[in-house]
Amino acid sequence: MTSLVTISGLSKNYAGVHAINDVSMEIATGEVHALCGENGAGKSTLIKCLSGVIVPDSGTIQIDGSTLRFGDVATSELAGIAVIHQESTTFQDLNTVDNIFVGREIKNRFGLLNHKRMREEAQQLISKLGEDINILRPLSELPLANRQMVSMARALSRRCRLLIMDEPTASLSSRETEMLMLTVRRLRNQGVSILYVSHRLGEIFDLADRVTVLRDGCHIGTCAIPEITEPQLIRMMVGRDTQSIQRGRTRDFGPTQLEVIKLNGDAFADISLSVRSGEIVGLAGLVGAGRSELARAIVGLDRCWSGEVRVGGKRLPADSVQASLERGLVLVPEDRQHEGLVLPMTVTENMTMAVLRRLTRRGMVDRNKEGQLVADMAKRLNIKTASMHVSSESLSGGNQQKLVLSKWLATEPSVLILDEPTRGIDVNAKSQVHQLIGDLAAKGLATFIISSELSELMAVCDRILIMRKGRISGEVNAETATQEQILQLALPDSSKLNA
Amino acid sequence: MPDLQHDLLQRLFGRREYGLCLLILLVGAIVSFVDPHFLARDNLRDILVRSAPTAIVACGVMLVVVTGEIDISVGSLLGLLAAVMGIFVSVSQWNWPMWIGLPLTLMIGTGIGFSTGVLVTFGRVPSIIATLGLLTALRGTTTLIMRGENIDGLPDRLQSMTKYGIVGVPLSLWIATVVILFTAVLVKHTSLGRQLFALGSSNYSAEMIGLPSHKLKLFAFAYVGFLTAVATIVDVPRLPKIEAGIGSGFELLVVTCVVVGGVSISGGRGSLVGVLLAVVLLTMIRPVLTFLDVGESGEKWTKAIQGAFIILAVITDSLVSQRLKRVRAVGRSSTATIAEVK
Repeated sequence: MTSLVTISGLSKNYAGVHAINDVSMEIATGEVHALCGENGAGKSTLIKCLSGVIVPDSGTIQIDGSTLRFGDVATSELAGIAVIHQESTTFQDLNTVDNIFVGREIKNRFGLLNHKRMREEAQQLISKLGEDINILRPLSELPLANRQMVSMARALSRRCRLLIMDEPTASLSSRETEMLMLTVRRLRNQGVSILYVSHRLGEIFDLADRVTVLRDGCHIGTCAIPEITEPQLIRMMVGRDTQSIQRGRTRDFGPTQLEVIKLNGDAFADISLSVRSGEIVGLAGLVGAGRSELARAIVGLDRCWSGEVRVGGKRLPADSVQASLERGLVLVPEDRQHEGLVLPMTVTENMTMAVLRRLTRRGMVDRNKEGQLVADMAKRLNIKTASMHVSSESLSGGNQQKLVLSKWLATEPSVLILDEPTRGIDVNAKSQVHQLIGDLAAKGLATFIISSELSELMAVCDRILIMRKGRISGEVNAETATQEQILQLALPDSSKLNA
Repeated sequence: MPDLQHDLLQRLFGRREYGLCLLILLVGAIVSFVDPHFLARDNLRDILVRSAPTAIVACGVMLVVVTGEIDISVGSLLGLLAAVMGIFVSVSQWNWPMWIGLPLTLMIGTGIGFSTGVLVTFGRVPSIIATLGLLTALRGTTTLIMRGENIDGLPDRLQSMTKYGIVGVPLSLWIATVVILFTAVLVKHTSLGRQLFALGSSNYSAEMIGLPSHKLKLFAFAYVGFLTAVATIVDVPRLPKIEAGIGSGFELLVVTCVVVGGVSISGGRGSLVGVLLAVVLLTMIRPVLTFLDVGESGEKWTKAIQGAFIILAVITDSLVSQRLKRVRAVGRSSTATIAEVK
């Protein structure tokens, strides 16, 4: 096999964090090369370098011997690279024809659009993909599933030598997935190379010739598919040397505080779970498994179709955040910069935002009471700030996260739901947050944590639930479970393995 | 998916053009019933001549809104360009020949539009803020260069061209026709037009497939500047003299036409025909009130009715988009079942 693409020493930093670090790999002509790794391993960054969306800090990419100029999508397209992105890159106000050809329209000899030829070619591409779409309707009027197929058709409308597919089947039905597999095989037989990113190990073992694993931005290894087993591949992805942070606690659990019964919604189905007083329950799963959506639905931010949520044994009215707050059920959202804090406002203002009513007398905020509460909280959570009256923008990420926590703790909740409580904060702040969660639980708080970091869940939680494609696929004891076990439950199509 | 074809109401309000057409005909019918002179040739011609400058500039502003930006500075720009043109060619001022003065006016208009675009793209100033600033700044500049005096004495040839025109049709109507045809071709038959719509539809997708978003926006803003200069040249000489306040409020009229014409304020959607119909409809209000003999309060009613049209347009927009959402939800749940069945 001759190599079509040679990537050498590619690195890219975002704010001091290595998204990819000195990655070198080769993609052979006419092979399906799978790219694996956990969330945040650097797969998308690598793809964006290839497709010309971002410029890497160092390293080179050679295609067929000539060096690729970075940072220009058109250059990458000319070099024969086509990409199907994870998030559909379609235009919902345009019709299928325009979506396929926008940016490289077919023109007639007057330089105007050749509508007839574009229409014919679009129709051909769509029927080749086995689809039956009205190509003259705006995509907004077509079912969502058609969009990925339109992205496909766009990628195939130009003769490409390297087709990159970033989780192409994530939003497809099984019939469409099969169609896509057929197309991939046909392209390979025509000599096109395919870089295939997927979390579905089944697909990878079905389709790929070789697989490359990335972890924390580093190239871990490349193996030929017949020579590796699924457990080996998973081990490469999570790494062997993940030691857990020490757990030192035995707590007594009280009565059930949060109970979710057969909840159904847009992004999840048939969810039942319970959290007892003093218990910490984790929720693991891949990005897109429906975890955040579930959390939002539990507290009433999103509408659900059916099912009920009980707090302290009493049923919550549906779709009411207000009622959740009154019963002591709070959600600390994932995106602290947008959902958690009003950044330009001061530390004090942010912290007391949710409890202003309690601090107000005859329509005026009682400054003394407010100051006392803020001072108490800052001490308890060890929030480091120049003053309580500076804007919360000036705080470090870790202190911002503690501030978000304090805002909700000020409401004296009985059930706390945390969505990615330590994303993007440093190790020290992280362990402080973990410590705090443990302390709160010891005082009887029922805690439910969503996290993409398995080691975090295993260190902090008592039990871990695993979500896969909107359903709970299993539950493990955090003390005895292994990362491999959890990942198996989280990845689709890995049922062949015994747990 | 429910078949939308059967839903008559949906069609009427989903396609803004039908609704506007219906309104124009309805209003026209009612007024000519009250006073048949409304349909006289001179009156209809007058309505069209009044529509022309608005239509010309709306062609540009529509493209800016389609990319997801907005331009609310065209009123002041028109004022400034009128002053500049007057100073260049008026016999009582610099008295330059028209073949120098008018192209120069066009270039200045295009240049200012282009600079607005630079501010929005490379300067990363939100277009609503940038053009709000320009709205004030350009008006201030106009007052400055006119030194508190009105300008008169525009060349006779220019005045008669704009008033009586070529073969009896005023210049503004000829030019408006050319601009409209050109814009229609641009929207429907060029890759530039297609990419403007794509950009407004999804910034993310546009970036991922490498559309030149800065260049596209620069073009749209420069086009507005150019067309504002065109509108100035063909319309302003009709007036007896050029005053410093000329064109004030024009920016709101143009944006109103674009919104009422069905262009999505978040970008990506809109039709030129809709915008032009809205221009005619909104220009009709004043003459209609005159014919209905509302009296002196007519002026006040004009604005109130224009405002009512904006609100009506926004309400139909949100009704249509709710409807679309429901259609999409149905589409999604049907795919979910396919996935479930396997």
